[in-house]
Amino acid sequence: MKPRQSFLRTLWLPLPLLIATVLLLPVLARAQAPPAETKAVPRSKVERKNRAPVSKEILQVKLPRPVEATLRNGLTVLVLEDHRFPTVVVQLYLNGAGPLHEPAEMPGLANITAQMLREGTKTRTSRQIAEEVDQLGATLNAFSGFGSIAAVINASGLSDNFDKWFALLTDLLLNPSFPPEELAKLKQRLLVQLRQQRAQPFFLANERFSRAVYGSHPAATVSATPASLGAVTPELLAQWHRERYVPHNAILGIAGDIRASELVPKLEQWLAAWQKTDVKEVLPPHPKPADAKKIYLVDRPNSVQTTIALGNIAIDRRHPDYIPMVVMNRVVGDGPAARLFLNLREEKGYTYGVYSNFTALKYPGPWRAGGDVRTEVTDGALTEFFNEIRRIREEKVPEAELDDAKRSVVAGFALSLEQPTELLNYAITRKLYGFPADYWDTYPAKIMAVTAEEVQRVARTYISPENIQIVAVGDASKIKPVLEKYGPVEVFDTEGKPVTQASGANASVP
Amino acid sequence: MKRLKFFLAILLAFTLALPLSWAQAPKSFTLPFKEFKLKNGLRVILSEDHSAPTYSICLTYNVGSRDERPGRTGFAHLFEHMMFQGSENVGKGEHFILIENYGGAMNGTTNPDRTNYFQTLPANQLDLGLFLEADRMRSLVINQANLDNQRHAVQEERRLGVDNQPYGRTFETVLDTAYDNFAYKHSTIGSMEDLNAATVEDVADFFRIYYAPNNAVLTLVGDFKTEEALARIKHYFEGIPSQPAPPEPDMTEPEQKAERRKTIEDAFARTPRLDIIYKIPRANTPDWYALNVMGSILAAGQSSRLYQTLVKEKEVAVNIFGGAQERRGPSLGNLVILARPGKDLAEIEKLVYEEIERIKNEPVADWELDKVRMQFRRQRAQQLQSSLFRSILLGLYAVYFNEPGLITTFEDKISRVTKEDIQRVARTYLKETNRTVVITVPKPQAAAGAPGN
Repeated sequence: MKPRQSFLRTLWLPLPLLIATVLLLPVLARAQAPPAETKAVPRSKVERKNRAPVSKEILQVKLPRPVEATLRNGLTVLVLEDHRFPTVVVQLYLNGAGPLHEPAEMPGLANITAQMLREGTKTRTSRQIAEEVDQLGATLNAFSGFGSIAAVINASGLSDNFDKWFALLTDLLLNPSFPPEELAKLKQRLLVQLRQQRAQPFFLANERFSRAVYGSHPAATVSATPASLGAVTPELLAQWHRERYVPHNAILGIAGDIRASELVPKLEQWLAAWQKTDVKEVLPPHPKPADAKKIYLVDRPNSVQTTIALGNIAIDRRHPDYIPMVVMNRVVGDGPAARLFLNLREEKGYTYGVYSNFTALKYPGPWRAGGDVRTEVTDGALTEFFNEIRRIREEKVPEAELDDAKRSVVAGFALSLEQPTELLNYAITRKLYGFPADYWDTYPAKIMAVTAEEVQRVARTYISPENIQIVAVGDASKIKPVLEKYGPVEVFDTEGKPVTQASGANASVP
Repeated sequence: MKRLKFFLAILLAFTLALPLSWAQAPKSFTLPFKEFKLKNGLRVILSEDHSAPTYSICLTYNVGSRDERPGRTGFAHLFEHMMFQGSENVGKGEHFILIENYGGAMNGTTNPDRTNYFQTLPANQLDLGLFLEADRMRSLVINQANLDNQRHAVQEERRLGVDNQPYGRTFETVLDTAYDNFAYKHSTIGSMEDLNAATVEDVADFFRIYYAPNNAVLTLVGDFKTEEALARIKHYFEGIPSQPAPPEPDMTEPEQKAERRKTIEDAFARTPRLDIIYKIPRANTPDWYALNVMGSILAAGQSSRLYQTLVKEKEVAVNIFGGAQERRGPSLGNLVILARPGKDLAEIEKLVYEEIERIKNEPVADWELDKVRMQFRRQRAQQLQSSLFRSILLGLYAVYFNEPGLITTFEDKISRVTKEDIQRVARTYLKETNRTVVITVPKPQAAAGAPGN
């Protein structure tokens, strides 16, 4: 039920595989059934016995409401007191400082600015910052993910020394010096990262899918380029910081073992030097759904799986269809009890996991399904995927399944009460989108009121086989003929460049 | 599913024993728990906490990939998947459906040393979690169709995590090279060949031998009353018969006499990677705690010595990580260096060894020790906010060391590590003869579009 942020994923090393699990994260969702598979897998059928003792009563929980304040410089402050644990978490959303507002030729400017905050201030070197943060036992990071309107500073630490680590955050926020030698070092690391990310099927799928659905909208960009890295200068970073890290567009959320009544006056003092300007955040025109079905293939030789992503632009976070979309998406692909997972994994054994999600921010984002399937069942997976799309569009969700989906959304609220960070996210979301103070109080009732007709309506409105964008990352020599059964295929290499038929690297047929 | 991601993150962090912190938290922040044993030998640990209307249940079984036999690598984990395939009163897939539909989160995980199954649920669904765990411990459904189905799911898990990823094979090469004893020499995910060989009989045998109440620990943390919860646990679990104690795996690891080196080519990797591994003692020993602190000083975070030297100062690497792995048996300390393309790997290796010599020859600084303690303390305070994390950790310490109280005493052991301890363990274990070096290099691509720069 949380707002889904667009997919961000660490591009660095996969952690050593010490553990294996029954479920993974929702990496992507995907699809289905097996015309092409010759060796039939024996039927393994999902079954409900309905003998487990369950309480049908939904535990009513009320999310705590934050103390809200606006500082003299216009900064919005949300404080959630939570004295169960001796820790504090801080999230500072700097709206208007995200890559969505970057000049088209400068992808990476926003994120490099954010990352450079840790690399030097007027009074501290990069190394001093690293040592101070670690000595205080704190965490302190700034980043700005592609597609985001904001740069975000996250920090956490013990409440005992909150004043000290928050002072460090303040120094990074207000006094960054963007040292040229540190920028040069960061650029070198980022250049390797640009190269490394092209080894990862998830990145390749994400890159192509974003281009497909967002078209000319800036959210189509998911990465810096060697050229844009080359063009970044300390002066450009300082300018971005000066013009866009402004208090009146920002939201500061603080949760944990802290007294709001004492904190707010201190914040006035600590952040007094942060001055309001007259800059307003202006969003680019909203993206429109792609209007014709397209199939994109990213040729990644030697792949043993096909990574699939499909979907199209749906809604923004304030759209009235958000609530029925949550329920529809839950039924189709949100989690291991959803149709995609039960069909493609538990019954067909095509994949470790398939899921769907939708991104709804200040501008419309896509509903998207996907997953990784072994190369041999690419066709079967796509078939099942379209079967599930057909089903959610053409058949009303049975009452019991709908009730389950709605209950799962509402009952899950209770779990968030364990985590101050999650509660803070709810509070910030409400503020970010300008929802009323009782938004989360009335949310469960709104979810429970969703009807099967509404679910079908939003499925038919936002998921259409006529205009769906399909991305497959895999070994073209094996899967191109399969994809061509679904329509004309545009092929790209792992560098993101179009491959023409004539040049023929993928034309080679086994 | 968001939650699952979080769970995985903490599990991974935990399993790697990166700077975990069981520092004692400042302020009054205690974790009381009570231990019981049912007539059938099931250990029960209850930790009542009413700070949120939720609870977590974790069943930790004393079985992991170290218990597998040659020809059946990956089996403990494949079996874990079978535990979600239904039991007498729960249909296939119904476990997922029930937990999701009543607002919960769940997973099962296998590592070399244990297998666990866990749920977090709203407090009013106490019976649901207990019923699901008891039903599968008592009456797992085992059939060929489900085995074949999950064999496929697991093989895709392997492809996703290993065969289709850059550096996917590196970890397996490290294990295979560093260890002599089969128990830890093979990976938990196992080989495709062995996964294909698993039979329904294997599943039934494994279930009988290892999935008995006397080979498990049930931990329950959260919003319940201890007496009531214990009564419900007895109701659901006490009728499950115990079994003869499973065989103890032979974990002896012969002493390593000479450095081991291997270079592998990786079809997906775009930059070279260097893994340097030392054999170290099992976790929860004095030397291991010292090695854990030393690992943090060397390789945890941007203030660490290797990050500052290799990434920032010399610019020969783009990232580093490492630490002491937390294993029940002979463990590993590892350092991973992602090299900058075009840099001389031998030179990088030399720089790492210079840092290691420095640790041996000079006491670490006071601020470095303080830093490790502070980081442990903060991390612990954050992790333990989750009832699930607590339930997992109590179960793990009970099964690994018969010492669930480590959840509160771990920090003391970290805090007691001295500069002298660090120098001593560095000299004892970080020796060339005790070392394994695995180098992963990008495989030259004849046809595929080579990176342009």
